[in-house]
Amino acid sequence: MNQRGIDIHRLGPWLFLMPTLAFFVVYQVYPIIRVTWLSLTDFKYLSGEPANWVGLGNYVEALNDPLMWSGLWRAGQFTLMFLPGTIIFPLLLAILIDRVRGQRLAAFYRVVLLIPAMIPSTLVFVLWKWMYNYQTGPINYYLVEVLGAFTLRDAPQWLGGTPLTLPAIAIMEIWWGLGYHSIFFLAGLAAIPRDLTEAARVDGASEWKLFWHVTLPRLQPIMMILVVLRFGSAMALIDEYMIFGGFNRASSTYTWTIFMFDQAFKIGLWRQGFAAAIGMIGAVVMMGFVAFLVYLFRSRD
Amino acid sequence: MTAIPTQTKSASRRKTVLRHVTINIFLLIILLPLAWVGVLSIKSLPDSMRGNLWPRRFDFSHYAYVFDKIDTLPANLFNSIYVTGATVLITSVCAILAAYALVHMKSRSAPFVVTLLLASLYFPTRVVAIITIYEIQDYLDLINSTSGLILPYITLNLAISVLIMRSVFQLVPNDLIAAAEIDGAGTWRTLWVVGLPLAKNGLVVILIVNFVTAWGEYLLCSTLTNDQSVRTVPVVLAAVQGGLGQWAWPRIAAVYVIVVTPGIIAFTFAQKLFFRGLMEGALKA
Repeated sequence: MNQRGIDIHRLGPWLFLMPTLAFFVVYQVYPIIRVTWLSLTDFKYLSGEPANWVGLGNYVEALNDPLMWSGLWRAGQFTLMFLPGTIIFPLLLAILIDRVRGQRLAAFYRVVLLIPAMIPSTLVFVLWKWMYNYQTGPINYYLVEVLGAFTLRDAPQWLGGTPLTLPAIAIMEIWWGLGYHSIFFLAGLAAIPRDLTEAARVDGASEWKLFWHVTLPRLQPIMMILVVLRFGSAMALIDEYMIFGGFNRASSTYTWTIFMFDQAFKIGLWRQGFAAAIGMIGAVVMMGFVAFLVYLFRSRD
Repeated sequence: MTAIPTQTKSASRRKTVLRHVTINIFLLIILLPLAWVGVLSIKSLPDSMRGNLWPRRFDFSHYAYVFDKIDTLPANLFNSIYVTGATVLITSVCAILAAYALVHMKSRSAPFVVTLLLASLYFPTRVVAIITIYEIQDYLDLINSTSGLILPYITLNLAISVLIMRSVFQLVPNDLIAAAEIDGAGTWRTLWVVGLPLAKNGLVVILIVNFVTAWGEYLLCSTLTNDQSVRTVPVVLAAVQGGLGQWAWPRIAAVYVIVVTPGIIAFTFAQKLFFRGLMEGALKA
């Protein structure tokens, strides 16, 4: 080996990792460190004054603020509405499609399943915001004109941070993930040996028993990944609340993420020190639950 | 065994029919919202004020109208294409290089980098970091700049892209890489000629994932820009209150169809590679 070859082998990996690490450090690692530091200061963005160290002052203030707790609870409520549906429906659908024998038909089903996943986030929100429209949306049209369940006066008000806004967002998110999560489960089902289920059937196991004792345990790893990932994304939702609910403090969508954004970019002199503390508390609570979920799933093995 | 009782035969056929009916109801639920917005874009104005699917009168003029009368639309479309194109290109190049280095180039720090990338997936970075990203962009004089959006966009999916490419590269045998290098191919050539062709399914996955994220990004774009003309189409659509004039329902629906169709068509063509890539990389990463 010549001198040049040795050099490349030493420097090579770093050369290749450099672009990724550069972006990652500047736009992910540094911001998190900076936010952690800001949360210990009285930094106000628009005041133009330097930040002063205030210790845990912001944290004490945030924890004594009812908006912090209601914000966490609202995010939790949304997660409770969203998480079961986004696991159970795709699981059911995947089990049904897994039994389709026709190759072409199964392939067609899979393509349709993934179409919503190809629609970028904001375009999903915009589409459903239009569908939930009080007067011109198809959902209220169906409830009022077709089903006759409501009249034009008392039709449900889905948007704007009413109590119905969180379930409305949950339905939308379940729709968005329906196909994609089914594909996850289909991959897991494909890995279960056919002999195993056939043997159990010959032994006279009912479909329900088969599902409970053979299929479900083998899907557990995939389910764990989905639950943990979706729990994390559900607790930290923000775009949906901005588009569906706005920044009204009484709104059902005024979660900890909106509370943080409101303080950082909307109110007064942009108290970003306080906002950073809100963000850190939210993140720590969320990650605590994630760690608990991981532990819960691991301990059963 | 030849004489299966007719009763169980018809029972199992009934089951099969029921299964396909249930599947198709689900598929209908998936497709109906898209069908509705598609039809909305060719409804006449009076018909668009009702939420039903089929109008009494069609009007196909809305597509021409939006290009004619919404003066920022060409700029918004250009912004979307430009920001998304640059983000997808740069993220993919970064992810390929980094993943290749993590798998096929011996580096003692590889486990540390992988842990860091994995950890970032569990922290709500996107939400919490926005405070500082605004500050960075302000410092770089990139507030209200379309090009400025590209930088934070790249990091949105960088970690997951590297991890997906990493698990795809892990399927490429080490011997193959070593053989190419012994034959005198440099690291670049080995990656380009041997590594990348074998990892093309994973590449399709990260291209699609990054496209979808950048094309529809909302939080950063709405926070870091102020003027409608520097924003991307989806963010403009999110701010619109449907109603009259240039923002009449069928017209914004036409804009919607224009921005949502390219992605769906591209996916339909790439779906075979995408599924293979998903099985090889994404589900393991």
